Amino acid sequence: MPIPVNMYDNCSLLINTLPDGILMLDKDGYIKFINPAVSRMTGYESQDLLNRHLSVLYPNTDTTKSEYELSVALKKGITIAEGWKIGKNNSKFWAELTLSANFEEKNVLRGYNCILRDISERKQLDLDLRKSEERYRLMVEGVQDYGIFMLDPKGNILTWNEGAKRTKGYNQNEIIGKHFSIFYTLQDIEDGKPPRELLIASTTGKYEEEAWRVKKNGSVFWANVVITALYNETNILVGFSKVTRDLTVRKENEELLRQSEERYRLLVEQVTDYGIFMLDEKGRIISWNEGAKKIKGYAAEEIIGKYFSIFYPEEDILNGKPAYELKVAMEVGKYEEEGWRIKKDGTLFWANVVITAVYNHDNILIGFSKVTRDLTERKASERELRDSYDRYRNLAEELKITNKFLSNANEELEQFTSIVSHDLQEPVRTIRSFLQLIEIKMHEGQEVDLKTYIAKAIKASNRMKELIQNVLDYSQLAKVEIKREPVNVEELLSETLQNIKTSADAAGASIAVESEVETVYGDRVQLVQLLQNLVSNAVKFTNGNKPEVTIKSTLENGQVKFAVSDNGIGISESNVTKIFEIFRRLNSPKAYPGTGIGLAICKKIVDRHKGKIWTVSELGKGTTFYFTINQ
Amino acid sequence: MKKYSIVIVDNDEDELFFMKEAFDTTGLFDILAQCESGDELMDWLNNKPFNLPDVILSDLNMHGKNGYDIIQGVKDTAYLAHIPVVITSTSSTQTIIDKCIAKGAAAYLVKPSSFIEYQPFIKKLHQLIEEKQLVR
Repeated sequence: MPIPVNMYDNCSLLINTLPDGILMLDKDGYIKFINPAVSRMTGYESQDLLNRHLSVLYPNTDTTKSEYELSVALKKGITIAEGWKIGKNNSKFWAELTLSANFEEKNVLRGYNCILRDISERKQLDLDLRKSEERYRLMVEGVQDYGIFMLDPKGNILTWNEGAKRTKGYNQNEIIGKHFSIFYTLQDIEDGKPPRELLIASTTGKYEEEAWRVKKNGSVFWANVVITALYNETNILVGFSKVTRDLTVRKENEELLRQSEERYRLLVEQVTDYGIFMLDEKGRIISWNEGAKKIKGYAAEEIIGKYFSIFYPEEDILNGKPAYELKVAMEVGKYEEEGWRIKKDGTLFWANVVITAVYNHDNILIGFSKVTRDLTERKASERELRDSYDRYRNLAEELKITNKFLSNANEELEQFTSIVSHDLQEPVRTIRSFLQLIEIKMHEGQEVDLKTYIAKAIKASNRMKELIQNVLDYSQLAKVEIKREPVNVEELLSETLQNIKTSADAAGASIAVESEVETVYGDRVQLVQLLQNLVSNAVKFTNGNKPEVTIKSTLENGQVKFAVSDNGIGISESNVTKIFEIFRRLNSPKAYPGTGIGLAICKKIVDRHKGKIWTVSELGKGTTFYFTINQ
Repeated sequence: MKKYSIVIVDNDEDELFFMKEAFDTTGLFDILAQCESGDELMDWLNNKPFNLPDVILSDLNMHGKNGYDIIQGVKDTAYLAHIPVVITSTSSTQTIIDKCIAKGAAAYLVKPSSFIEYQPFIKKLHQLIEEKQLVR
């Protein structure tokens, strides 16, 4: 429809086509006109509403409210109210109703002009928004562990939640409107910290810190604080959100942990007798203590970051020992050993080393601890101890030898004493006894037994002479320096046999020689005497059988072993050691004459040649004397 | 005065002869046996004679078993161990006396300077046995 030219037509067209509803009311509020938009909104036809009171459009035909709104419009000239409006069939829509009084003349009310605008859609959005905001509000308000509140751009508190109440102690009504610096310590306030934080938040969008904050009761708590600047859609700063968390408990735990860790760190750092340090999982040094410095010579700053293989001798490195030790530590938890390690100055020290794998709470290997101890001193003192022990042992050994020597000398002395006191005294006593008897008999004039007594005295004096000669011979053996000369065994044996030929022949002895050795080293004269004594014994101690004697010489373990065997009376096992004692006789002199010096001389000669002499014998069957002489 | 039974051992037959004479003269002992060597004594003892001697008097220096062997042999035989062995010898050397006592001799007496002076020796032996209560 073309736009009409006259005013009325224009007005009519405007009213009919306007999307807003236009109503005209009389001075009592009764509807006198509606435009088509009102019909569209309410569903009423024009005739349905004409002469009806405006309240017909209010829920429950609320005249009180409609009258009130009309009175306001009358008083103020205009009023705008939002609210539910009811259409035909109780259809409901949210509408903005503008009422303006329409005066005929000055102060004479004609009626009201009324504009009705359906804003249901807008209202719905509004409601949705409000519902969502409500949810957030409730959520924020309900949060207990975080204090969450809003500040206006100047820092005044706008909102408050349960968490804020709990952490800071203020109720909502006593804190809203207060400046947020109320939570800061005096010092922070003097430092201008609160406005600075807002400035940082507004320029960077966020300010975050952990610091001390003050509660209502004046106590402080360790707070995690995040201040976020809030901008509206036009990028105007509308305020700040502030989230505060009380970390006091966490802080206390951390502090305890820190103190404990510090104690350990100080403890470890200051230990001087043990090198204690950490390696990372690859074996690089990441910590260093006083003891490590003292033992290995490196300062912390020059060693941290280096591989721990720096302490190993080249041979160990070539053998892959450092890596192997870490592998063992990883596999079984620990590696322990003693070995040589290198100091900074290149010198070696003997170390006791314990490497322990270190795992974190999640059981992930984070490295190794290494404890090193310098045992060099201990080793040295151990060695010293051992040396001194060795020295003492040597001394003891020497002492033992000296002792043995002295004891031998003592034994000889004792033997000599025994000889003088017994063996030499006996014949003297015998001679004296018979001389006294002779004296008594002669005094009594008896001459019967005198010859016997004299014969016995002479016999005793002969024996005496023989004993003295033997003692001299024997002691001579000990005094004379023995010769060390090669002695032909064959010559030795033939000389021996020559010397005893008379007695051997007299006894009808057969003497066999089975010599395998050519020469021995020793004193020829003494060796002849030795063999001579043995062979003459072999010929002498018989049971009346013809003596059969065998002389053998063999080479055994670098020594010459002689054996003189006979078929004589033998020696009982209990007596085989006694026979070498000086003047020791097993048999009566009547059966086998002799002084008992022969075997003592043999033993003496063998001893002086550093050899051994012993006997194997069976009573009644025969005896073999063995002796060894160095070749 | 109590008379003790005794066995005397000496390898010198002349000495033994004069010793026996002196024993008989003093009448302080009954001689159960006289042996010319240690072996002879041990043989006699090992034959378990009906009467064991109260005391054995033995020379020290003898061929075969000597005085030390006799001390040992008596001590090692259960039914003889209680018999005191008195050693007699020409030697007055202290180490030899000590050695005899250490080996278990009941006493040690130095022989008189001649065979014919045994009577005081025997009196002394008897006195020693009484004093030391060697015979129980």
